[in-house]
Amino acid sequence: MQKKLVSVLALSVAMSAFLAACGNNENNNTASPSASESSSPSPSPSASESAPASESASPEKVENFTVSLRHIQIGDAQKFRKAILDDVVKKTEAEVPGLKIELDPVEDSVNRFTKLPAEMAAGNPPKIFSVFGGAGDTQKYAKAGRMLDLTPIIDELGLKDKFLNVLEPFSVDGKVYGLPIGGNTEGIFYNTELFAKYNLNPPTTWDDLIKAADTLKQNNITPFAVGSKGAWVPNMLVNTLIGRIAGEGANAGFITGDTKWNSPDVVAAYQLFADWEKAGYFTKGELGKEYADMLNDFVAGKAGMMFDGSWRSSAFKNDAIGAAVAGKVAFVNLPAVPNGKGDQTSVNANYGEGYGFSADLNENEKKAVKAFIKNMYSDEMQLRGLLEDGVLPSMKLTDASQVTDPIVKQVLDVLNGAGASFPHFDSIVTSKVYTETETQLQKLIAGKATPQEVGDAIQKVQDAENAAAAK
Amino acid sequence: MRTTLKNPYVYFIFVVPTIALYFLFFIYPMLTSVYYGFTNWNGLDTKDYIGFDNFANAFKDEDFRNSILNNLYILLFSCCVQVPLIVVFSLLISGVKRFQGFYKTTVFMPSILSTSVIGILWGYIYDPDVGLINNILKTFGMDPIYFLADTKWALVSILITNAWQWMGFYIVLILAAILAIPRDIDEAAMIDGATGVQRAWYLTVPLIKPIINVVIMLSIAGALRVVDIVLVMTDGGPAGATDVMASYMVNKAIKFGDYGYGTALSIIIFIFALILTALYQILIVRRQEKVEY
Amino acid sequence: MAINLRKSVPHLVMLVYVVVILVPFVFILFSSFKANNLEIATHPFGLPKSWEFGNYKEAWVKAKINVYFFNSLYLAFTAAAAGVLLAAATAFAITRMKFRRTSNWIYQFVLIGMLIPGNVLFIAQYLLVQKLGILDTHWSLFLPYTAGALPFSVLLVSAFMKAIPHELEEAAVVDGMGVFRMFVQIILPLTVPALVTVFIVNFLGNWNEYLLSFFFISKDALRTLPSGMVQFRDAFQTNYALVCTGIVFSVVPVLVMYAFLQRKIIEGLTAGSVKG
Repeated sequence: MQKKLVSVLALSVAMSAFLAACGNNENNNTASPSASESSSPSPSPSASESAPASESASPEKVENFTVSLRHIQIGDAQKFRKAILDDVVKKTEAEVPGLKIELDPVEDSVNRFTKLPAEMAAGNPPKIFSVFGGAGDTQKYAKAGRMLDLTPIIDELGLKDKFLNVLEPFSVDGKVYGLPIGGNTEGIFYNTELFAKYNLNPPTTWDDLIKAADTLKQNNITPFAVGSKGAWVPNMLVNTLIGRIAGEGANAGFITGDTKWNSPDVVAAYQLFADWEKAGYFTKGELGKEYADMLNDFVAGKAGMMFDGSWRSSAFKNDAIGAAVAGKVAFVNLPAVPNGKGDQTSVNANYGEGYGFSADLNENEKKAVKAFIKNMYSDEMQLRGLLEDGVLPSMKLTDASQVTDPIVKQVLDVLNGAGASFPHFDSIVTSKVYTETETQLQKLIAGKATPQEVGDAIQKVQDAENAAAAK
Repeated sequence: MRTTLKNPYVYFIFVVPTIALYFLFFIYPMLTSVYYGFTNWNGLDTKDYIGFDNFANAFKDEDFRNSILNNLYILLFSCCVQVPLIVVFSLLISGVKRFQGFYKTTVFMPSILSTSVIGILWGYIYDPDVGLINNILKTFGMDPIYFLADTKWALVSILITNAWQWMGFYIVLILAAILAIPRDIDEAAMIDGATGVQRAWYLTVPLIKPIINVVIMLSIAGALRVVDIVLVMTDGGPAGATDVMASYMVNKAIKFGDYGYGTALSIIIFIFALILTALYQILIVRRQEKVEY
Repeated sequence: MAINLRKSVPHLVMLVYVVVILVPFVFILFSSFKANNLEIATHPFGLPKSWEFGNYKEAWVKAKINVYFFNSLYLAFTAAAAGVLLAAATAFAITRMKFRRTSNWIYQFVLIGMLIPGNVLFIAQYLLVQKLGILDTHWSLFLPYTAGALPFSVLLVSAFMKAIPHELEEAAVVDGMGVFRMFVQIILPLTVPALVTVFIVNFLGNWNEYLLSFFFISKDALRTLPSGMVQFRDAFQTNYALVCTGIVFSVVPVLVMYAFLQRKIIEGLTAGSVKG
């Protein structure tokens, strides 16, 4: 299934010119009720259903209402994604009479691990909110009845078949509760200028990678920039190492009990990470560094490489935060790991970040949500996401021939060349287990735990959670 | 007279708002804490009664034990390092005539600032790249110290910041007591030829013992209460090196949705606070009173 | 000579301490005017090469310090004022009115609150605020702030009111004065010093409160200064000058207030802690 996912994605990107044209035509001509992408504030689709004569009736009695929208597009690095969101909001407000969308920006991990869980417990999440797919997020909230079942809406809007096979982490019992805005993979960004300066080959084989790291280290350049204050950042590399060393099916096995965190393969992945830690391949003082610091160190040329998500590609445009290294950055897959069990071209592919909606909506708010979905999950925005922000589309709509950004092209190459893919374990395991992986990884980085201890500790929590789930 | 000050309705009006608010935000949360503490509530699903499991787990929980230890370090540091320093500085200020007002004003300044702002401020002072301290180290050709990222340094860094914030407050407290001592006692000792240090140690310190006790009590309470500065500066990191009981509790409950466990931890903190203050009262304050009278 | 030396030793020691206190402020102040991180790193103590007043404009607008500032101001003020009024009314009832037994019970009951460390109740208060449906509104801060100040305020104001001689209100009663007028016109004015003390302690406590404000409020427009500043730091983590500017904005008002009310604040806070 995972393999299929990649190929569908690649196919969709490759064939996109045709598909996109079709999609556009369909939208413009055929009578899908939602598709009128006119800029005039026409009544929303549901309004036209309920009140066919609305054109004359609507202006006199417009009820003003606000809808809260929690997003995580904060700071300069997210400005392209924010611009897309702003346009969607503007469009939605124009289409729904009386609607005012109130933006509530919150930093990503604060939203994911602090605000949203608390609001879910209280039963008062924002009406529209940024949410991740998986057992620890969307599925947990959906099961507790906190999230709106989107199945009827996407049926009505005709979106159901337009999504790639990526709705699984956002679904419970066949019902869809959230929609991913796009996808990403994680790999190595490297500074081509620094590599040229020290006569290094691109890190496409393990030996070249190690040689590059050692050489950079000798020249007082951090091999890998990383900001581990939030442990999800180093967890990206750990996740891919596990996929490569223990095999691409390993992650999915944690909840079934087929894979153990303290099995030799997984421990070997942690061991490799610990070895790199010991060899000084990562930023000094990484435990005090934020995710933003990691990009800054890389942009400033203090580090030669960083293991990061493909979404970072937009930071290296000429008008972006990483303009200083624009044109000097390349993206490659993690090279084949010696003695790895899995497919050594496999990549981590995530369609994790998306939007969800409160189950508690009145009629007006539902209209707003419907219009928001229609506008956000459109050809136009998916394409803009890819072109402007380097986010891989989650829908089969994009015209990849327009991709000019070299890094985005490299990301697509990596995906095309991947023999298999695996999800990030943060979308598989429950939040308790995931939290433990973060805690333990920081201990490993601080030298307070050995790889074996890390595996044992995580497995202990995993066992308890698996037992609780079996009840 | 009788009727005016015995009107039960008026009494009712004057008392009820306070009682209601107090009940709602103190007593009721206290009672629900006890209730939730015995459940496994995660904020979303139903809550089941699980007896003393949470409490048993808390003491098995290595990370929580570690955070108790950190509270103890903070407590020891405040009582054994801060309090003596506070007394010395107070004596110094009380002994000078010139600039006394200036010293008093200045040392007190940090304690009126928001702890979270102080946390941010010191975060920059500790910064490995542009921070003040590492800049100084650099001029001496030393390697930068990763104060908040190094497990060896993080807690010490927070202790220093905490001391910087609160020492002045306690100094002013003790200073007030010293300045209230009648001058003739001191002058009589001076005529007898006692040196400044002797007078301070044999005369002043015994006289201000009650207020020193108050300061120690407040330090103990403060050490158990500390949380803002940890959340702002390190959020308990790196790898739990600066987690205190309260920050661990807040993170467990809010971040990880473990409300049952979190409230159990809060009850443990409460009991700790009660025991420590009671112990201190019994062991130190009582005994001193006996000696004095 | 020897005497001079001995006299200057305390001043020397104090000088070191004062420098330790002031240097961080100066560092932040200078940094806030500097152009970029590099200048902060290379000249930590130097005056800025060119004074970048633009930083201040940028921070004020970007960081919405103005919004946070006024939120903090009015919340701290109203909650402190409400706390003082409620405490004064209650203290009046339990010290001056003739219900001794009930009053004693109430007094003891309120006193229990002094034993509970603030953050212990945090989770339960959080759940309470959720249930009341006031999460993410200013009520969720106003009510706990007001309530949180009550035990100490009632205690201190009661102690003060007990000391007022009874002849005063006896005379007032003879004149036919009602209870409310007696409270407002006779007792309150006499209690002003204690009320001011309580007000200042509560005000500063509310002004600086972080934990509740961070977790109870998620709308940016409703944030108070302490939590807003943290948010600001997280968003502009690596623009040191801008964050230093934010710190200056949030520190200066309190320092100005301190300069004017210095004596009252010190009295208030020391009284607050000793009696507490």
